[in-house]
Amino acid sequence: MTLRSWWRLFIVGFAVLILQVGALQQLDIGGAHPDAFLLVAIAAGLVAGPQIGAIVGFVAGLVADLFVVTPFGLSPLSYVLVAFAVGLLASLSGGRAPYSLRIVATFLASVGGTLLYEALALLIGQPHIARGELVNVLVVVSIANAIFAVPATSALGWVFSGPGPGARELSTGGSAVR
Amino acid sequence: MATSRRNTSQRLTLVILVLASITLVTLDYRGPVSHELGSVRSTARDAVSPLQRVLADVFRPIGNLFSGAVNYGAAANDNSRLRDEVGELRRVELENESAEQQLQQMLTVERLPYLQNSKSVIAGVISGPPGGSNFELTLEIDRGTSDGVGLGMPVVAGAGLIGEVISAGKTTSLVRLITDPRSAVGVRFQNGTIAIATGQGLDDPLALEQVSASAPVPRKGQLLVTSGLQGAAFPAGIPVGTVSSVKSTGGTFTFPVTMEPVAALSGLQFVAVVQWLPAP
Repeated sequence: MTLRSWWRLFIVGFAVLILQVGALQQLDIGGAHPDAFLLVAIAAGLVAGPQIGAIVGFVAGLVADLFVVTPFGLSPLSYVLVAFAVGLLASLSGGRAPYSLRIVATFLASVGGTLLYEALALLIGQPHIARGELVNVLVVVSIANAIFAVPATSALGWVFSGPGPGARELSTGGSAVR
Repeated sequence: MATSRRNTSQRLTLVILVLASITLVTLDYRGPVSHELGSVRSTARDAVSPLQRVLADVFRPIGNLFSGAVNYGAAANDNSRLRDEVGELRRVELENESAEQQLQQMLTVERLPYLQNSKSVIAGVISGPPGGSNFELTLEIDRGTSDGVGLGMPVVAGAGLIGEVISAGKTTSLVRLITDPRSAVGVRFQNGTIAIATGQGLDDPLALEQVSASAPVPRKGQLLVTSGLQGAAFPAGIPVGTVSSVKSTGGTFTFPVTMEPVAALSGLQFVAVVQWLPAP
């Protein structure tokens, strides 16, 4: 990643942070709210491939964990795995993915990411939430992320676009969706 | 060759990031840096809270709109049920007048400890529930250590207890609701029976554990207050909830009992932090 990409990532990340803690957390849709940090991780995997997706997922997870009370490191762990898996699958498909594919991929990855987070939380001894609430969370997070999949992948595309060593690295196969 | 090198690099990155995440989880759980991580979290919340408050004022009506739309069916049912209850309550009100006089006399004599001795800090709710994550039931409030809020202080709203402070920054704090699955509150029945109320989720009643089968069978609607036993996390006498269901089981040593919180836990705008700390 180039320095310019890091700066752009910082701008996008800050905007997402404000959006999440200032706006999205105010929503109570059946006891759940959208998860913009997970969306960023998935979008990075789709746009920049597994390696950079995992790095962005790790950073997004660290930021997300600053504002929760669950064990620190749980969000980075789940976001890294989801972003890597999404990036790997997207890079296998090759070429520029159509909007519909981005939306479907984001929807499925959001379901996977949410379930993975809950599974990892259970694994380290956190109490589970009720099944009905988990279903609400899955529905809200995955639908909201699918709705915002196109702008999110476009924003991440802007982050990783442009000349430089990072761009060359992406163009040699790291990137899946442009 | 280049593809193989790239695959190796990708796998290496994945392994490093996964190991780093697991290390963070371990350090937060058991390591000596857990307190420092808590401080970092408090500082981060304090840093974004001014902007967050402004945005919260703008987006809260939109949030309420979503919440209202999603919960419309439940609200209609509640409306119908509440109309029936109002009629019943009017009848009970007359009966309660005499009981209230007795209660006032009792309060004058006994004085609930948290009302008698403890001061409280009124705080505005910035966000929640749910909290930062969809997997926790917390509130973020706009008062912190600079206002006298401390870790472990009970938080009340309206009719009774809603939770306790689990993280206190300089200007903001996090409150874990009693319905969070991580929450456990020592409660006492009117007959003196002690139990532990654990959270089951936002819309689910609290489960009462360790209600001895040898104790009198709890009645539906019976009020439970904080037990205030020695070393308890809450002062005695704060109303917590009312018994919502009792299952009588044969051959076991405990009753499965559930309890509805007396205080509304969603749609809160202001809460009171009771400046009381458990005895060390």
